[in-house]
Amino acid sequence: MLRQLSSLPLLFRPAGPLHRYHGSLIARFTTTTPASLKQLPPRPKPPPESEIEESFLKGSGPGGQKINKTNSAVQLRHIPTGIVVKSQATRSRSQNRKIARELLAARLDELINGTQSRTAIVSEVKKKRAASKAKKSRRKYRKLAGEKGREEKNEEEEEEEGEEEEGQEEARLHEVEGKTKTTESNNAQQTQATPQGNETR
Amino acid sequence: MPRLPPSVFWRARREISPMAAQLLPACRDLESAANELRWIRQHVRDTRSPIPPELRIWKLVEKRGRGVPLQYVLGTQPFGDLEIKCKPGVLIPRPETEAYTLYLASLLCKDQALSTTPPPSLSILDLCTGTACIPLLLLHALQRYPSLSQTSLYAHGIDISRHAVRLARLNQAHNNHLLSAPSSSSISNHVDNNPKLNFTQASIFSPNLLPILQSHSPQWDVLTCNPPYISASGFRRDTARAVRNYEPRLALIPDAQLAGLASQCKCQPEDVFYARVLEMAAVLQPRRVVLEVGGWAQALRVVDMLSEELMALYRTVEIWRDEPGAGEGRKREVVEFGGREVRVRGEGMGRVVYLYQGTEEGG
Ligand SMILES: C[S@@+](CC[C@H](N)C(=O)[O-])C[C@H]1O[C@@H](n2cnc3c(N)ncnc32)[C@H](O)[C@@H]1O
Repeated sequence: MLRQLSSLPLLFRPAGPLHRYHGSLIARFTTTTPASLKQLPPRPKPPPESEIEESFLKGSGPGGQKINKTNSAVQLRHIPTGIVVKSQATRSRSQNRKIARELLAARLDELINGTQSRTAIVSEVKKKRAASKAKKSRRKYRKLAGEKGREEKNEEEEEEEGEEEEGQEEARLHEVEGKTKTTESNNAQQTQATPQGNETR
Repeated sequence: MPRLPPSVFWRARREISPMAAQLLPACRDLESAANELRWIRQHVRDTRSPIPPELRIWKLVEKRGRGVPLQYVLGTQPFGDLEIKCKPGVLIPRPETEAYTLYLASLLCKDQALSTTPPPSLSILDLCTGTACIPLLLLHALQRYPSLSQTSLYAHGIDISRHAVRLARLNQAHNNHLLSAPSSSSISNHVDNNPKLNFTQASIFSPNLLPILQSHSPQWDVLTCNPPYISASGFRRDTARAVRNYEPRLALIPDAQLAGLASQCKCQPEDVFYARVLEMAAVLQPRRVVLEVGGWAQALRVVDMLSEELMALYRTVEIWRDEPGAGEGRKREVVEFGGREVRVRGEGMGRVVYLYQGTEEGG
């Protein structure tokens, strides 16, 4: 089982040049927590179709003309790991199939890369950002109270610069967030059905 | 239909919103109520109206809660990558139809990939076309396929209903931007290669129709048909209330007068359209015939209706289940029928009877 997991990354490594994949891995290890979204690792690619078992969830019954339910839910099972993801985010089954594959790619990335996975890094960046925002508002408050320090001011300027750079990526992050949020709050669940390699981490 | 327990309404109100509780009688469970409420809100956000959004949402929820199908409430149904407009009076496209239409498109593409010279044209005849969901999705899928870029695609839809034909044309216009060939092929300065699509309002039982169809195309490549196939008793017994109350009977149950024909062709009243379509197939001899059916028993009855002439013409006879592509390569299911091997594909209920003049590649 252990061996199976360690050989796993090979199965769904992106089709592109390997060194790029390694490159991004190394980058991830050196910058433990990127301050800017520019340093985010690329979105993980879904595994090949031959490793996916797809099913469409719908009620029992005759189907066809006799029923007109809006059953657009798509469930995927990744055969090598047993990971199951489900999406019913949209009314379109075609769209849900794409979303489910993105979800599966993210779950596999989390399984393999753990704290260095894209999901983990995105949430780390978000946490940092929220903290810095809180800090800034505290500072603004203090500024109003008239106890501004010189050192702090420099720090602030630096941060503001960083903030602007991030601004452009903001929309992209929100898109990611939106997707995960919808998928978690109301329409797609991810169940980790017997992840065979959990004990290795 | 059993009454829902009050506790479900409580939970909907508390965990989602009072509007979800209002959707429950139609949606039947919390998950779909939450989904549909989200889709209604999205629809209101994405479309313009002088009416305030909150009021619109409330109105749509009220309508849906009364049992009107969501597709009529929102006016659309996604179908593959297309958006099909839906209006009361015309049947809403079903996910099973979407699944086999995409599967058929993949077969046609595979077939083209194998042939050394791309055919100059490919023609599709869709009987009982309704919203035109089938020919529109086929054209869309085929037109994007590189090896068909030199092939001119043509489809023709037939429906008896004036409302259907009008909606079919509306859907053609609505999806026109997705039907034109990719811009790259226009660089090579070829003749206008956009797919063509026409509709005719006619009964498929009309004796005048066959000569007209023959004049449109000397050789049809594909004949598709999703005819009314529900029996009168099946309509009462196991057809959903939203279907019975809101979708047109004309689209679901073969007309009683036509049922009189059934005794002549020695078939059950709900199978009478298949008798006619097979008769047409014997004359038009399309290379492939795709007939949607209401289940396994009906699929077998349709296979049984094949004349010796048709058996000789179509070397491949298959039954497709709801998901024809599922489980490919993992299992092989076959039934023996009248000394003929009938391949069964996919998973789910029996959904399609498929005839092909050639032999299918990739067993
Ligand atoms: C089950 S619906 C199929 C609609 C569409 N093809 C689909 O798959 O969603 C059957 C259609 O057949 C049409 N129809 C009924 N009787 C007909 C007849 N005698 N000739 C032609 N069309 C007929 C109805 O108007 C209806 O649109």
